[in-house]
Amino acid sequence: MSENFTLVALFQDVNHAAEGIGKLHELGIDDHHIDVLSGIPIKGSILGRPHFKTNVPRIGMVGAGLGLCLGLFFLQGTPLLYPLHVGGQGLFPLPPTLIISFEMTMLGLMGFSFLGVFIESSFPAFDATHYAPEVSDGKIAVFCNCPTDLQEQVTNALTAAGAESVRPVEAHLP
Amino acid sequence: MAVTANPLPHAHPSPGNTGTGKPEEAGAHHEEHENHSEHLMLDPKPRGEMNAMAMESMLSTNWKFWVVIVILAVIVGYGFFYQWAILIIEGQGVAGVTRPDYWGLFLVDVVFWIGISHAGTFISAILRVMKVEARRPFTRAAELMTTFGLVQAGLSVFLHLGRVWLTYWMIPLPNQRTLWPDFHSPLMWDFMAITTYLLSSTMYLFLPLIPDAAMARDRSTGWRKLFYRVLALGFRGSEREWKHLGTAMNIFAVAIIPVMFSVHTIVSWDFAMASRPGWSSTVFGPYFVIGALHSGISAVLLVLFIIRSTMKHMEYFLRLEHFDFLGKLSLVISMAWAYFYFNDYIVPWYGGDVADKELLHFQEHGPAAWIWYTMLICNIAIPWLILWNKNWRRTPWLMAFIGIAVNIGMYAERYIIVPVSVTVTRSPFIARLYEAAIEIPITIGMFAFFLLLYMLASRLIPLIPIWEVEEGQAAHSLQKVGKADIVTLSELE
Amino acid sequence: MSHPHEHDHEHPDSRANAEEGSGKWGMVIDQDLCTGCQACVAACAMENNISFIGDVRESDIAYGRSMQWIRIERFWEGEYPNVSMTDYQPMLCQQCGNAPCEPVCPVFASVHSSAEDLNLQVYNRCIGTRYCANNCPYQVREFNWRDWPLPEPMNHRLNPDVTVRQRGVMEKCTFCIQRIHVGENLAESEGREVHDGEVVPACAQACPADAIVFGRLDDHESEVSKKALNGRGYRHLEDLNTLPRITYLKGGSTHGGHG
Repeated sequence: MSENFTLVALFQDVNHAAEGIGKLHELGIDDHHIDVLSGIPIKGSILGRPHFKTNVPRIGMVGAGLGLCLGLFFLQGTPLLYPLHVGGQGLFPLPPTLIISFEMTMLGLMGFSFLGVFIESSFPAFDATHYAPEVSDGKIAVFCNCPTDLQEQVTNALTAAGAESVRPVEAHLP
Repeated sequence: MAVTANPLPHAHPSPGNTGTGKPEEAGAHHEEHENHSEHLMLDPKPRGEMNAMAMESMLSTNWKFWVVIVILAVIVGYGFFYQWAILIIEGQGVAGVTRPDYWGLFLVDVVFWIGISHAGTFISAILRVMKVEARRPFTRAAELMTTFGLVQAGLSVFLHLGRVWLTYWMIPLPNQRTLWPDFHSPLMWDFMAITTYLLSSTMYLFLPLIPDAAMARDRSTGWRKLFYRVLALGFRGSEREWKHLGTAMNIFAVAIIPVMFSVHTIVSWDFAMASRPGWSSTVFGPYFVIGALHSGISAVLLVLFIIRSTMKHMEYFLRLEHFDFLGKLSLVISMAWAYFYFNDYIVPWYGGDVADKELLHFQEHGPAAWIWYTMLICNIAIPWLILWNKNWRRTPWLMAFIGIAVNIGMYAERYIIVPVSVTVTRSPFIARLYEAAIEIPITIGMFAFFLLLYMLASRLIPLIPIWEVEEGQAAHSLQKVGKADIVTLSELE
Repeated sequence: MSHPHEHDHEHPDSRANAEEGSGKWGMVIDQDLCTGCQACVAACAMENNISFIGDVRESDIAYGRSMQWIRIERFWEGEYPNVSMTDYQPMLCQQCGNAPCEPVCPVFASVHSSAEDLNLQVYNRCIGTRYCANNCPYQVREFNWRDWPLPEPMNHRLNPDVTVRQRGVMEKCTFCIQRIHVGENLAESEGREVHDGEVVPACAQACPADAIVFGRLDDHESEVSKKALNGRGYRHLEDLNTLPRITYLKGGSTHGGHG
């Protein structure tokens, strides 16, 4: 098994980047060995990349469920624990139950969605292994992990597709 | 890091590159140039250059900036913190509250600051969901107003409490006293709603900040580099990271809209649930929400004017088109506010309830009537006279004047609702005009506090979400349709 | 007049005793007898350790910050110089069966007592939002705007049965609940019921005209129950559905009378 190594190619627009990725596919490098960094979100289909799934909505839904339980506990549970009568209303009032349950559900949904970003992206990730600072200047960086014997072909293909620079990096792709 | 000035990764070929020298196309070229200079979305600069502009705008301070900071800090220190200490030690007696004016200027401040905070959510959430492109450069500036406005609102709540050191009893956590708070009370709904809104809008401020913090991290040295490094959480811009971030932002944008509506509705219910004349009105929910938008959008106009006039490079990002857009919005909301106020007015006016009628008479003819007229002039007359004119909408200083005027009008509106309404009770024996005391320096201190926080934030985080601006610019282009160049917006997301 | 309310059938105790009967402890105030002498006001202040206002800042009184748990309200009719006085109106906490001050307190400092069917103000729990005072249609709640000093030897006059309140705390008439408890404890220790007229709040005790009568409304033989049925009887602001426990007997000077 020949060693693998990682290259990073910088492109200045989506058309060239898509072309470069297409050439990588032609050389037999599959999507798992390619990672794309960009300064703005780019829809996967523009670059010919697969659709990535995210669990953030599911995590958010868990949070919404927990929030709903919390809201119901506040309004229907605490009067059972410590009943105090106040004028004009029963112990388990329905409209305040709806109000507080709504607020807690939304807080749970948003709070857990927020945490979901952290969990899914493994934030904080201060020791990220591969990054190209030019990305925040608007470049598109295509990282690819390929066998050593393909190195020259890959470099030529990427340069032909319009890459500004192609260089090797010490990195492990996820 | 090398700052290169390269063209953007456009989806469509840039206009003007296919010039053949024909007169029509030269004319069309001239029109494109006009389009270019006017619309931010059609006037793209290389990302690197925009990044540099944002960084420079954030990093540069002159002596005038620091003089203002010092003055604000002094006002905050003496007017707010010191006076609040006196208020806590002496008791609410140093304030202007009495029977029957149990709630005074502090409650006006609560409603006012929550109103200001609604603008941020409206712009960053509602306009995002409705895909209004004009919002792009000022979402963060508006969201900062939300966060800092909610801070002031929270402080205003604490200020009016008789025994503020026991506020934690409102927190629903198990405790040794085995007591839970009373969720029958609209103040508890307030507490839950404002907490939800504050946490949500802070998270919603932070999420789109991450990529810009990453940009700042790559362009900073020293303590700033560490600060942005922590803030950016190691964000690299990978496809997965964008996917998670974008999904969360979409969830927030949709979810925070009903929360925003619920928060000010619940604040209005503090008054509507009370059986006092002038308060027990069923229209208060939507009336307050529209009022919040009215004062909020106007505050955004004022803040954008200040940012554009005082910070470098902001004239590129904040353009006349944005003032025009916000001006139109402000006019529509002013009409909606007038509709709701008329509802709130005509019902007690028409009915025969003695206390309601007396309150209306007091509002219009009593010693505080000038406040009632200020409200009507500033909220309705001034916007309706000025905002219909397109050229005037595109005059930043005039829009800033509208911003100030409407905020004065909305403050007057809240003053009418709280201290003026409580002057009149059902018993002719109990009535007293409210005279604010320590509330005045403290309120001034809170305005200074808001400005101070905002000015410090403007130098700590980039005010313009550059990646969102670039995202919009990448999607806009000019396409030749027939003989004209038509603005085209692609759905790249 | 019946009021349609949602009734929680599974928890019969979950209403604040609003519908069942007309209350337990109640009062009748005969405005024909009241002379406006303010003996009740003074007695209440002594009994309940109410602070003297004005020592820190004289203008407090003029600004409406007096703390009178019972106050005498005076009204007049007509334009000067053809002015006629109406009845004096002692106004105090009506101990509403459907108290609007109760649901609005965020920390349960204003609650309804199931045992005494009174509105309780829990001083220790109050954090001073003043929502209850805003919501009281009779405006009978008093707030401690400051700490008022009590120099020696004035502190010796304090009633040991009643606490002293801190600044930032709401207070109001309690129907002298401390006297109710003394009466009930005595009766229980002697193995009997409380006699009618045994428990007398400070205001009723001090009134030289016997205009204030206090007792059990659920005892149909008590003096207060019989007096409450008087044809001159009315309740304040009862169209707000507060179910007040105090019946006022109209005097001759009200509404054009020549008393």
